[in-house]
Amino acid sequence: MNYVPGTASLIDDIDKKHLVLLRDGRTLIGYLRSIDQFANLVFHQTVERIHVGKKFGDIPRGIFIVRGENVVLLGEIDVDKPCDTVLQQVSIEEILEEQRLQQQAKQETDKVKMLALKDRGLSIPKADNLDEY
Amino acid sequence: MFRFQSLDEDCTLEEEDEGLVEEEDEINQFNDDTFGAGANDDDWQEEHKRLAGLDDRDGLGTELGLGGRGMGGELDQGGAEDPSFTHLPSSAGHLPLPSSHPSLKFSLSSAGPPPDVEDRGGGVDLAESLARLILEADPAIAGVGAAERPGPSQSSSCSSLSDLQGLDRPRVLPQSSTISHPNQPHQHSHHPQHQLSPGPLGLPPGPLSSMLSYQQQQHLLRRGTAPMAQMNSHSIWENSMGFGPLSVPPGLVTHMEDNPLMSIIKEVGLPKRPHQGGNDEERDLSERVPPPRSSSPVIGSPPVRAVPIGTPPKQPMSHALNHQNSPLCRGQFPPGVGTVLSQIQRAQMLNSQVVGFPRGIPAPPLLPVGGSYRPFFGGPPPPLGHRMGPPPHGHLNHTPPIRHNTTHLHPQHRRMLTQRMQNQGGDRGRTGGDRRSRDPYSNLMTQKEKEWVTKIQMMQLQSTDPYLDDYYYQNYYEKMERRQERERDSSKKEHTTKLITPQVAKVEHTYRPVQFAGSLGKLTVSSVNNPRKMIDAVVTTRTDDEEKREKQVWNKRRQILYTVEKMYSMLLEVQDFEKRFIQAPEEDREALLEQHKSNTMQLCNTLREKEWDDRVSDEQCVMIMSVRKGKRLISRLLAFLPSPQATAIVMAISRNLPALAKKDKQDQVLCWLVEPVSAVIQSLSSSALTDLLQELQGSEGQLATVLHNKFGVTLLYLILSEGERMQSSDPNCQLMDDNRWTELVFSVTRELLSVPNSSLSPPLFTPPNLLSLFSRYVDRQRLELLQDKLQ
Repeated sequence: MNYVPGTASLIDDIDKKHLVLLRDGRTLIGYLRSIDQFANLVFHQTVERIHVGKKFGDIPRGIFIVRGENVVLLGEIDVDKPCDTVLQQVSIEEILEEQRLQQQAKQETDKVKMLALKDRGLSIPKADNLDEY
Repeated sequence: MFRFQSLDEDCTLEEEDEGLVEEEDEINQFNDDTFGAGANDDDWQEEHKRLAGLDDRDGLGTELGLGGRGMGGELDQGGAEDPSFTHLPSSAGHLPLPSSHPSLKFSLSSAGPPPDVEDRGGGVDLAESLARLILEADPAIAGVGAAERPGPSQSSSCSSLSDLQGLDRPRVLPQSSTISHPNQPHQHSHHPQHQLSPGPLGLPPGPLSSMLSYQQQQHLLRRGTAPMAQMNSHSIWENSMGFGPLSVPPGLVTHMEDNPLMSIIKEVGLPKRPHQGGNDEERDLSERVPPPRSSSPVIGSPPVRAVPIGTPPKQPMSHALNHQNSPLCRGQFPPGVGTVLSQIQRAQMLNSQVVGFPRGIPAPPLLPVGGSYRPFFGGPPPPLGHRMGPPPHGHLNHTPPIRHNTTHLHPQHRRMLTQRMQNQGGDRGRTGGDRRSRDPYSNLMTQKEKEWVTKIQMMQLQSTDPYLDDYYYQNYYEKMERRQERERDSSKKEHTTKLITPQVAKVEHTYRPVQFAGSLGKLTVSSVNNPRKMIDAVVTTRTDDEEKREKQVWNKRRQILYTVEKMYSMLLEVQDFEKRFIQAPEEDREALLEQHKSNTMQLCNTLREKEWDDRVSDEQCVMIMSVRKGKRLISRLLAFLPSPQATAIVMAISRNLPALAKKDKQDQVLCWLVEPVSAVIQSLSSSALTDLLQELQGSEGQLATVLHNKFGVTLLYLILSEGERMQSSDPNCQLMDDNRWTELVFSVTRELLSVPNSSLSPPLFTPPNLLSLFSRYVDRQRLELLQDKLQ
């Protein structure tokens, strides 16, 4: 903030641990190493954190370069603050499995919903995540 | 990583102007700054050599801007001892000796004993010690531990200072032998104003270093890597500045009040950073204001670059980069440290004014160095100008009363303040700092790159009309400012830190394309600032009346031309009739004849337009004749017209001869009519002829005009000759029956005699029988005169 007072700048966030939510729904946690004018981010020691219910799993990803337009939100993580104990960390395999189950359940409910709507003559167009058009 | 840039001798106090003077430099810089200083033409090998050489070098000179005067003197003395510092005396010679500037001497409350430094530095990792230094220098910590260890902190600062100096000197010396002299007076002027008063912790570097013996300084220097030392000393600088004496001398305050910003501007506005050879980097990173946009086609175009636009600044040498982990040590190191520090000092100065350090942190000591050292040690890309410390509540003014280029807080200053603020809150800041210091990957993004990004962001804030672009922001901060003003009304005058975005003047750039005389188009070289006009439409403003008149004129002319064209086509048909008739087969000839007749009729009719009777319209004829083509037309037409119409036309011609002559002045094609007219005349009856002659003399002065005109004269002669022929050939000629002919001839002769020879236009041909005609009417004397005239 001090670099350019009165404005928001990512300069001050450099070398700090951040959590970023991407447009495709992924959550990345890593050390923000570099930025540019488009808010492209370079993350170091990145970890992709998958949340399913109360469980979460971290998948180490290494170095990430995120294109600025794909960032939904970005926030600094306070490493000193005690972590939430509500969430329970599990292994990668487990969390992926959980995720898969979750996706499956979601798909099934969606299917049922679509069927019900179809019976009533309604249809909801598929929501496209690519919202460019 | 270490930018050794030659000092620019032109770097004087007129930086403000210089910052905007050189167009091309500005533009280069503009592009560089906007799109990346990718065009670093540094030879990395050279740099590496330099760096390596630096490391190896024994005594990194202790030439530093900050407090350098006093220190310089000291070092100078010490320099003589060491052969490696032979440069020093020479360099020191540039700098004023401390004796000459007693004001520069910082008073030290207590100088850390040099042996302290040595002891401590003996086997300890320099990084750690320096890191410790930084932490110690922290106000909160310092406050706690100040009483306990003033010595070590001071000495450490001292050592770091010396490190700084040591590092600076040698680097600067070999690279740039020129230390701009003009700067010195400037700096001198600053120095007296900046007086450091010793504080409990404050360690103005100058006196401290002076306390240190040269040997000890060298020792210190040898201990660590050059960059390390520099960086750490840099941080030390910061710390010492940050936690300087509690009270600011009144003189300083005044000075601060007077031109804190001015000094920043002066420093920031320095147009030329000392460059290393072959380095055509952006000249002045702090120069926020883009060059005035040129609308010229040449200058506005982006320059051709070997490195494509958009490349970010080149990464400095990594080995040097990764050494230091201190959170406060960033970017490149002295020789530019001095400038950085000075900026920091100033920033702190300002910040102290602004913020008032509500937490009770003493205002930073104002090092006399000021920003003047910047020109000395261009060093690392100078920080983007001075950064204003963030006011506690983020007060910002978007529209500064004075137009400054930048007022940004220096990143180190920022860190310092952040740390300070954090420390106020607790130990969080410290731990953060600790963590950062242990992070081996920190500072992957160099200072330069950060500045580059910030620069781009700043440029995005430029606006010619801030109220249009960012209305709510403007209002919001105006309110905040007013509130702050009210709050602080009673207290001392303070400067609120402002984000001063460069104000781009709204200038209307009109590009007038180059046009060569006589050419149809205009040369247009399009450039970024001057996109090509696809259609160059010239708007002529005319009043309504004028327009109407013009329109009418044009309409009429167009009408005439149209009529002429129509008649021409008919005429051509008529003329071709005979040919076609011959060629046509028997059965078609009737039809052809009919057609011919109708055509002829039409032609006549056209001439009769607007007249209710059968007479040929005078007006129409004249109109047609006003156009060159029309005259041609008439001349061809006469042959085909039935006799009465032809006569009428000839009458019309002669009646309106002056007007026609006037209109014909440019074209001079009336003479086309001679032949057909003569043919017509020859078929005229005597009365008709007389009429014709009368028409010719119709109005007053007409004959004179006629005589001036070639055609007129010819026509006149033709008429006269015809009359004579009539008279001579036909005894029954009725020409003499009424006196008109005689009178007319008399008047002609009179006119002929009176008209001077020069104005008498020579006819196309002179009929031979004129004389005989005249002989009937005039006496011998006049005849002879006429004869002369007729020749």
